Amino acid sequence: MEGGGGASYQRFPVVKVRETKDDYLKFELRGTDASVANALRRVMIAEVPTIAIDLVEIEVNSSVLNDEFIAHRLGLVPLTSDRAMSMRFSRDCDACDGDGQCEFCSVEFHLRAKCMTDQTLDVTSKDLISSDHTVVPVDFSDALADDSAEQKGITIVKLRRGQELRLRAIARKGIGKDHAKWSPAATVTFMYEPEIHINEDLVETLSLEEKQSWVESSPTKVFDINPNTEQVLVVDPEAYTYDEEVIKKAEAMGKPGLVEIYAKEDSFIFTVESTGAIKASQLVLNAIDVLKQKLDAVRLSEDTVEADDQFGELGAHMRGG
Amino acid sequence: MEDLRNRSHADVDYRKLAAPIKSAVDKFQLVPEFLKVRGLVKQHLDSFNYFANTEIKKIVRANDKIVSSVDPNLYVRFKDVRIGNPTEALEGIVEDLSPQKCRLTDKTYAAPVLVDVEYTKGSHGGYSLLEKNDVTIARMPIMLRSCCCVLFRKDEDELARLGECPLDPGGYFVIKGTEKVILIQEQLSKNRIIIDTDKKGNINASVTSSTEATKSKTVVVMEKGKMYLQLNQFAKNIPIMIVMKAMGMESDQEVVQMIGRDPRYSALLLQSIEECASLSIFTQQQALEFLEGKLKKLPYANMSTGKEGRAMSILRDVFLANVRVIKNNFRPKCIYVAVMLRRMMEAILNKDAMDDKDYVGNKRLELSGQLISLLFEDLFKTMISEVQKQADNVLSKRSRSSQLDLSMLLVKDIITQGLERALSTGNWDVKRFRMHRKGMTQVLARLSFIGTLGHVTRISPQFEKSRKVSGPRALQPSQWGMLCPCDTPEGEACGLVKNLALMTHVTTDQEEGPLIALCYCLGVEDLELLSGEELHTPNSFLIIFNGLILGKHRRPQRFANTMRKLRRIGRIGEFVSVFVNEKQWCVYIASDGGRVCRPLVIADKGISRIKEHHMKGLLDGARTFDDFLREGLVEYLDVNEENNALIALYEQDATPETTHIEIEPFTILGVCAGLIPFPHHNQSPRNTYQCAMGKQAMGNIAYNQLLRMDTLLYLLVYPQRPLLTTRTIELTGYDKLGAGQNATVAVMSYSGYDIEDAIVMNKSSLDRGFGRCIVMKKYSAVNQKYENGTSDRILRPPRKDDRNKKGENPDWERMQILDNDGIAAPGEIIRPNDVYINKESPIITKGNPKLGGLKDSDYKPSRQTFKGAEGESCVVDRVTLSSDKNYNLSIKFMIRHTRRPEVGDKFSSRHGQKGVCGTIVQQEDFPFSERGICPDLIMNPHGFPSRMTVGKMIELLGGKAGVSCGRFHYGSAFGEPSGHADRVEAISETLVKHGFSYNGKDFLYSGITGCPLQAYIFMGPIYYQKLKHMVLDKMHARGSGPRVMLTRQPTEGRARNGGLRVGEMERDCLIAYGASMLIYERLMLSSDPFEVQVCRACGLLGYYNYKLKTGICSSCKNGDNISTMKLPYACKLLIQELQSMNIVPRLRLADS
Repeated sequence: MEGGGGASYQRFPVVKVRETKDDYLKFELRGTDASVANALRRVMIAEVPTIAIDLVEIEVNSSVLNDEFIAHRLGLVPLTSDRAMSMRFSRDCDACDGDGQCEFCSVEFHLRAKCMTDQTLDVTSKDLISSDHTVVPVDFSDALADDSAEQKGITIVKLRRGQELRLRAIARKGIGKDHAKWSPAATVTFMYEPEIHINEDLVETLSLEEKQSWVESSPTKVFDINPNTEQVLVVDPEAYTYDEEVIKKAEAMGKPGLVEIYAKEDSFIFTVESTGAIKASQLVLNAIDVLKQKLDAVRLSEDTVEADDQFGELGAHMRGG
Repeated sequence: MEDLRNRSHADVDYRKLAAPIKSAVDKFQLVPEFLKVRGLVKQHLDSFNYFANTEIKKIVRANDKIVSSVDPNLYVRFKDVRIGNPTEALEGIVEDLSPQKCRLTDKTYAAPVLVDVEYTKGSHGGYSLLEKNDVTIARMPIMLRSCCCVLFRKDEDELARLGECPLDPGGYFVIKGTEKVILIQEQLSKNRIIIDTDKKGNINASVTSSTEATKSKTVVVMEKGKMYLQLNQFAKNIPIMIVMKAMGMESDQEVVQMIGRDPRYSALLLQSIEECASLSIFTQQQALEFLEGKLKKLPYANMSTGKEGRAMSILRDVFLANVRVIKNNFRPKCIYVAVMLRRMMEAILNKDAMDDKDYVGNKRLELSGQLISLLFEDLFKTMISEVQKQADNVLSKRSRSSQLDLSMLLVKDIITQGLERALSTGNWDVKRFRMHRKGMTQVLARLSFIGTLGHVTRISPQFEKSRKVSGPRALQPSQWGMLCPCDTPEGEACGLVKNLALMTHVTTDQEEGPLIALCYCLGVEDLELLSGEELHTPNSFLIIFNGLILGKHRRPQRFANTMRKLRRIGRIGEFVSVFVNEKQWCVYIASDGGRVCRPLVIADKGISRIKEHHMKGLLDGARTFDDFLREGLVEYLDVNEENNALIALYEQDATPETTHIEIEPFTILGVCAGLIPFPHHNQSPRNTYQCAMGKQAMGNIAYNQLLRMDTLLYLLVYPQRPLLTTRTIELTGYDKLGAGQNATVAVMSYSGYDIEDAIVMNKSSLDRGFGRCIVMKKYSAVNQKYENGTSDRILRPPRKDDRNKKGENPDWERMQILDNDGIAAPGEIIRPNDVYINKESPIITKGNPKLGGLKDSDYKPSRQTFKGAEGESCVVDRVTLSSDKNYNLSIKFMIRHTRRPEVGDKFSSRHGQKGVCGTIVQQEDFPFSERGICPDLIMNPHGFPSRMTVGKMIELLGGKAGVSCGRFHYGSAFGEPSGHADRVEAISETLVKHGFSYNGKDFLYSGITGCPLQAYIFMGPIYYQKLKHMVLDKMHARGSGPRVMLTRQPTEGRARNGGLRVGEMERDCLIAYGASMLIYERLMLSSDPFEVQVCRACGLLGYYNYKLKTGICSSCKNGDNISTMKLPYACKLLIQELQSMNIVPRLRLADS
């Protein structure tokens, strides 16, 4: 249209945040198509960096679980990773030649626990002592209303009398593509916004009972009946799961076309839940950053292969893909 | 009118069926109560307990005296026998044994057999009678959890202290550290008349007699209208009438009377009578002489067996040995023969009267107790004769300066070793009965918990497996409730190897005397008082007790009812069966061991005796299963007696004729089939497949799994309890020791790497621990002692800075994981080719010990290196030091390897649907629902139509409902009417309530494009098992490698890094294709190429002389006509081998 050469497909997506908590975010994304929405989703799951324990040196382990078992569990403990975007991948860290032990690319943890009593001792993520106060195991205590005085972390292992666990762990930056422990997203999903049109005239031909049974045919509560006017209303279009039960029901009642439901092809409702490593809102922003960097990399590396290297971190993203 | 009423009646019935069940008393609680009392392997324990408490005493009482034949005044008499506590005497110190201790230190878990003896001592004039108590004559291997075991009646805490798993069923032995099960042996019942046809189609009646003294098989066969006796001791068939005459039935009329006066029977007998007459045998004397002539010649020609002759003694002791001849009264035996003949003739006249060999009622199961008692009896007798021989030897030789103490000769090694050998090899050799059975014991399968349970309840057949007959393999209607209809292996043992059902009990022997006396008291007319004529008068039934004819009764039904009443009030044993056979006019009473039976609820006129308050008492703990039995609410029925019962499946189905009600229908399945949810919705072979696969599933083995030292141990890192459980799962403890994980499965096609049942797995799920497993392998080393007093030694390993005399230190890197004691340290990471024990052996191990000790140079290294998959790192998990059976130091290493699933690993659901992992896909590429649910694995929908595993679909639905509402759903077999399985309607309602579609399908988006998928996807949790077959253990490739010395061809098999053979058929394909160069390259160049010198003159092979640098023919003695050519080494070998056999193969060479 405008511009010189080819047609421009530039669109101006709009984001509207509906609900936000530390680890939960619901927003609308309008004015773009499925590829962009999906790219955002994929990046959130797999390419937003976080910090997670990657190397465990066990000094003493007389617990019932074996070393690999504990190491695996430690890896899956989410760590606060607000620093992650600015941290280096240990594989391209110059300061330590990539062995991942320097302050620029790693965080050291210590865990010392020994059960001295007859009561079973739960070793939790709270027992992990970090060398960096910005990178600590995620604290869930305020997320759950403070019903108990002492909120426990994530259980790593249980010790009985005389058992001991002593270890040193190195946390590094990574992305979810390499291992799920680096994925900051617990849930990232989107849906097409449904557009529901009720054929009012046809609905009026139904009796109240019929309306009731039709409304109830939807497994989710999408429709309701106004108790006063006996009108069928769309209460919550987003509860609709595209199950077509209502359409089938309408057909079964001999009233095809009672309702028409479309999916709006250009608007999406995102639900993002974070593991706690970064805030859900930050997760989205980081994802957009990463996405942008990726696009930059594609744009800039058109000419030369060497261009890859100059992007450092980004090059790694692309090589990983 | 009548019709109408019937219809309306049917309507009522229909409505009743559709109505929710509330009226019937829920009898399910009886099942766990039964299992609490009887346990899953109670049959084994009961059988062993019976042996330990009763049978062993009987055996010793029957052979209680050892009398010296030289001096009959010297004797030993066993007064009492018992089995002590499991202990071990080591150098005079008696130490208590526990099963776990035995497993770890390769000992036999055995207890001493103690006897109290009374014996005489002295000579000629003066003998003194002495007594000794608690003399150990043998060490008896003890069945775990039996009454002699230390685990008997221990609670969970005590078991844990002994290192034992409370869920372990017991019922096996620990022999030299390995757990051995004596398989239940299935046999045709003994001492019963079985009418059958032989190969030629002749009808015969056979009896396998078995008494304490002898075993024999008697066959009466109908050949060409005449009846004959077949007995091993006679060379030919003997006309049956002659046998009758030999037993004193000289009058043909009496025989006819005994068989019955029906003219049809007489007609059938006529030819036999005529034959006898034509041989002009009329008297007993003549008959016996005739028999004497037909006897098989004995190998040793000692014909003097006393005045009566051998024929007579065979007739008395071998022929129908189960019918005792008391004071030469052959009449019971004659009647027995008459009954046999009558049954045969019935079968001739009416084919329905034929017996079915495969009928479960005609089978007996031999359990460990019986088998051990057989062995013990034989060994005990051997020991007695050995002691006697020894005593006689001593007495006859020595001038008896010292007095012989007979009790000192009671050696314990014969019995101990005999028992131990039989149990560890599984070979049962009892010479007296000419019994040589192999494979009676097996190493207990410890791959999975369910596999262990399934192994203990397995029944092995007596037939050889090769026979291509379908009869014994087919499912028998009579095995309902007794043997599991699903659990049988595929392939050659299909249908022959069976498994017990959940509630089956196998009886043990019961005292016969009082029961016989009781029968007479209840109006049985004694056989002795009956004439032949009276035997078969109408309306009178023969009473047959354990195959023995007691007499007849005029009111059989009343008699049977009285017997049953006595049984229900507990006056006679609960396992005595009373069976009125209307067809044969007989009442069978059985109290013998090995019958299978099961408990049923008694109903009076269709009304269950169990009422609400009974069940309440049970739930409150005020009653036990035994109370139910004692009060006559529940009773055991064996397969035969079931024929007299009308058993209703549910209380509401009962009619006034109903006599019994099933406790729970799902108990017809065994342990393995009990894991399957909704098995009644599956195609039946699928359940059979799952029964086989459940035994290969990884999970938890036992609570003490990490304390055990199994050779191979597969564990799951995060085993789960199935979301969709069954009652059997809860009863067996599978919910505590699961072997699988609940995976969210999407049934859809994805990526093309899911064809042929392959599954696509989610990488993130694997990262988070799905399907992660631990493989532990045992490696052992022995610090051997040698005959010259030398022994192996274990050395401190060389460290990095150490240098030997030459200043070298080549091996320190391989020995980094060793501790200073030379043994690998637990917790160390071990890589292929690492040394795990730095052992050295003396070079000279024979002859006299070297003086002044051994120097370092007298030892050669015999290090043991770890061989594992290249690139994988394992960890030394545990190291144990113990002494082995030869008192050498034995060092065992458990080496652990944690694996995450990879492409090619095998998985299976619980519905016989196995598949390998086809590809692993990133989570972001996986489809997702708008709730954010992303499956763990994707299964191709083509797996469903041909397999028809509807149960799996219901499992998915039920699992999905279960996770959404937070309640474990049930899927017990046939459980819908009784509420032990959730109905699909109810599940669908739950799903809808939680916002899912009623049909379990979800609306998914593609993870790759973000677009909605074209179809709704059936998605939900299904319990998946990881099977022990993993690619890491199987994958194999070879470039070049080791060769066999003889043929110089590559070795065979993965373990030897062998080659992959281009076999005969592959070669044929290549020939047909014409790929000659490929054949040349595969069959020769890549296999065993060899350069030979061939003499063109004589055609023989020569050799290459390296000095002269020419080939020389050794037969022509020159090198003039030598050609060099390539040949497979195997061909050269063949030529030379032929030459060594005086065949001269010559090669004719031509220019090409």
